[in-house]
Amino acid sequence: MRKLVGILMALTVGLVVFAQAPKLVIWADDTRAPVLRDIAREFTAATGVAVEVVEIAYDQIRGQFITAAPTGQGPDIIVGAHDWVGELAANGLLEPINFGAKLAEFSASAVQAFSYGGQNYGVPQGTENIAIIYNKALVPEMPETWDELLEFAREITDPTKPMYALVFQNGPDPYHWFPMLSACGGYVFGTNPDGSLNPCDVGLANEGALRGAQLFADMIAEGLLPSGVSWDTMRALFFGGNAAMVISGPWLVADTVAAGIDYGIAMIPSIRCADGSYGVPKPFIGVQGFMVSSFSQNKILAADFLLNYVATTDAMLALYERNPRPPAHLPTFEIVSSDPDIAAWGLQGQYGIPMPNIPEMASVWGAWSDAQSLIANGQATPEQALQEAVAKIKAALKCE
Amino acid sequence: MNGRSLLTQGLKYGFVALLDAAALWAVIALLFRGDYILLAVLGIGTLLLNFVILSRRAYPLRFLLPGLVFLFAMVVYPIGYTVNVSLTNLQTGNLLTKAQVIAQLEGRYYLPPQPETFTFWAFRNAQGKLALILTASDGRTFLSQGNELVPVDLSDPRFVRGEDGTVTSFDGYTRLTLPEVYQSLGALEALDLRLGEEHVRLTSVREFGTFLRKYQYLPDQDAVLDLETNVTYYAKEGYFTSPDGVRIEPGFQIYVGFRNYLDVLTNPGIRADFTRVFGWTLAWSFLSVFFSFAVGLGFAYLLNDPYVRGRFVYRSLLIIPYAMPAFISALVWAGMFNTDLGVINRVLGDLFGVKVRWLQDPMWARTALIFINVWLTYPYMMIVSLGALQSISQELFEAARVDGATSWQRFWRITMPLLWVSVAPLLIGSFAFTFNNFTIIWLVTAGRPAVLGAATPAGATDILISWTYRLAFEGERGNQLGLASAVSIIIFIIIAVISAVNFRFTRALEDVSRSV
Repeated sequence: MRKLVGILMALTVGLVVFAQAPKLVIWADDTRAPVLRDIAREFTAATGVAVEVVEIAYDQIRGQFITAAPTGQGPDIIVGAHDWVGELAANGLLEPINFGAKLAEFSASAVQAFSYGGQNYGVPQGTENIAIIYNKALVPEMPETWDELLEFAREITDPTKPMYALVFQNGPDPYHWFPMLSACGGYVFGTNPDGSLNPCDVGLANEGALRGAQLFADMIAEGLLPSGVSWDTMRALFFGGNAAMVISGPWLVADTVAAGIDYGIAMIPSIRCADGSYGVPKPFIGVQGFMVSSFSQNKILAADFLLNYVATTDAMLALYERNPRPPAHLPTFEIVSSDPDIAAWGLQGQYGIPMPNIPEMASVWGAWSDAQSLIANGQATPEQALQEAVAKIKAALKCE
Repeated sequence: MNGRSLLTQGLKYGFVALLDAAALWAVIALLFRGDYILLAVLGIGTLLLNFVILSRRAYPLRFLLPGLVFLFAMVVYPIGYTVNVSLTNLQTGNLLTKAQVIAQLEGRYYLPPQPETFTFWAFRNAQGKLALILTASDGRTFLSQGNELVPVDLSDPRFVRGEDGTVTSFDGYTRLTLPEVYQSLGALEALDLRLGEEHVRLTSVREFGTFLRKYQYLPDQDAVLDLETNVTYYAKEGYFTSPDGVRIEPGFQIYVGFRNYLDVLTNPGIRADFTRVFGWTLAWSFLSVFFSFAVGLGFAYLLNDPYVRGRFVYRSLLIIPYAMPAFISALVWAGMFNTDLGVINRVLGDLFGVKVRWLQDPMWARTALIFINVWLTYPYMMIVSLGALQSISQELFEAARVDGATSWQRFWRITMPLLWVSVAPLLIGSFAFTFNNFTIIWLVTAGRPAVLGAATPAGATDILISWTYRLAFEGERGNQLGLASAVSIIIFIIIAVISAVNFRFTRALEDVSRSV
């Protein structure tokens, strides 16, 4: 019996030792996994370290990581968005990344987007923001101000056809609505003197935000903007030639090309503010990149893989080609910046605000969506709806 | 003993052996992970299985056991788990256990006032022991002895030099090549070398650096001391908290007793919206089940009539809504009900010149939801009713006809009571399912239109479960799983009570039908 136990123990110890031979496990989505497998082959050839790239649907990665990481069964590296960082870091699941000299190769705002509590938690890869995508056959000249846009809309809108000048997801969808609110000064969270976000300073019902919201309400009331538009409806209208412009992001481009539309990318028209100046709509910036698990047994290895094998022009270019978004890796950005689409997204993106990554953002979306739907349905004035939303957000966050 | 029973005996013992081997493997794995609760459950379960298979007396249990195992795994365990979670503060920021948080904090370091970095050569001897030679940026060299770093003079002849002048071996240690360094990174990363007061740790594949420890756990005070600032953080409400209220992230899970339940039951905002949401949930479940049963039974009655031609074709066609994934249908319906662009309003507009504010007006949104749900569920009711109708003996109808009963009377006096016996339990099941049918609500309206002035994010079409979702995931920092579990348990109790009352009610009907 004692012998049996001895054999079992030896076997288990053997297993544990075997498990210590380093191996990187990466969870990536379907667009990045194939590229990462190529990079991993190169890494394995140079270092002898095995890399396993597990393909997981993008929107599943965060939840599965939260479940798996604390048990020690999780991956070493995940692909994800910068706005996951707050939740993951607050849960103690992410390891800070020490860029060293590599820091200079990355767009400062992209690195900032991945930082939380003064630490960098991600190697940024691609950025994305929304702007106008328009159908060149329907828009003779892209309006530069919202007033011109309204003029153009009054000309071509015909609900019976239907034909609309501008359509965007609003059923409700604050992400696509935010540029209208931010143009004249609306914001989600204000900043503390040290640059961190202050969740109790909510700027969604300030004068600038109300101005944008009023514009939205007026357009719906006048019949210039269809309400309750979902992703599918927006696509159907734009691809069917029933909408001249949409507010959307790089993810719509591939299908726009497939639909045979001669498209252009332009800035969202500026909105005239209370003081008579024109405010540029500021979209949210989203950054995608790579994060290292704090439960990884191979943190140095993971950082080495990311900083010396992924953060190279070859690898970043391969990632870019699978999914063309402005790269956060500056040398790669230089190479692709001649692409007119990338330049056009960047034009709007330079006014963008990184979407807040603090976990308190969870309290914002629902209340904000409710406010948008109340305004779109004409059940409340922008003032009533947004002020109530701000009160609800503050109550949910136990401010004051 | 004949060959056949020998074979079955062999199979039986083989099966038991395999099972026990698997269990043993799992037990060892769990032992190493320190998961003692699961270990106990697994151990007891395996012993029970052995007893049942090997003992003659437990023979009948053999056939019940698989069912019981699944009952435990699929019903009892999840409920127990949910109850357990509802007593904790599990939420964003309080995910890890306290031991995990302490381990993580004690592994945090900060840079000393004069940080130093070192390049290194790693060596290994025949016994597999690691040794390191570190070279500081100013050229000083150190050799690791255990966890201490001692200054060393590399001109000492015991250090054998290679062609490029670097040390390749010493005292039986040979230098690792870069791939070998990579293979040993796990061990190198775990090293905690000391140089005086400072810790020297691996910072990248090529460098070590000096650090100072940031936190120390003080078990007697249940607190964490910040060695950099000398502030003590005491364990409080799931966080190590400083006297002036600063919390160290991450926090940890703690048991909070019935606080989540009290939060739900005493929060004035939640109480104010509860009645409205609960009322709509009841109406939604009742009306959905009622109409889908009425429609399903209507079709079933027609299709059961032998005089209807092409019954098979109709039957197949009418089942289509049931065969389509509800996800797709619900999204398609949501599009069709769009006020400005949906096909329903286009048709209504062309025919009658009206524009119904589907999905935007509370009453119309509710109507649309019930309509969609009836569309999705009537085929089920039709199938069930068809089966039940066919089991009713035709003699009863003939006898009734001879007695001069009208078809109306035959339906209400014969068909319905007999149908009711077999269908009623299914209706109760449907009611309970619809009560919690999160999918349809979430895909079509997501609980909207919003209600102006509601204290919590409760929309006009939110049912209890979707409202729970919004309370738990759209509040504070998201993922308030403790609170969500508490509300789930409350909903579970509500449904259990409703179902119990319903079953009582139908049992009474069963007695009536027996006396028909």
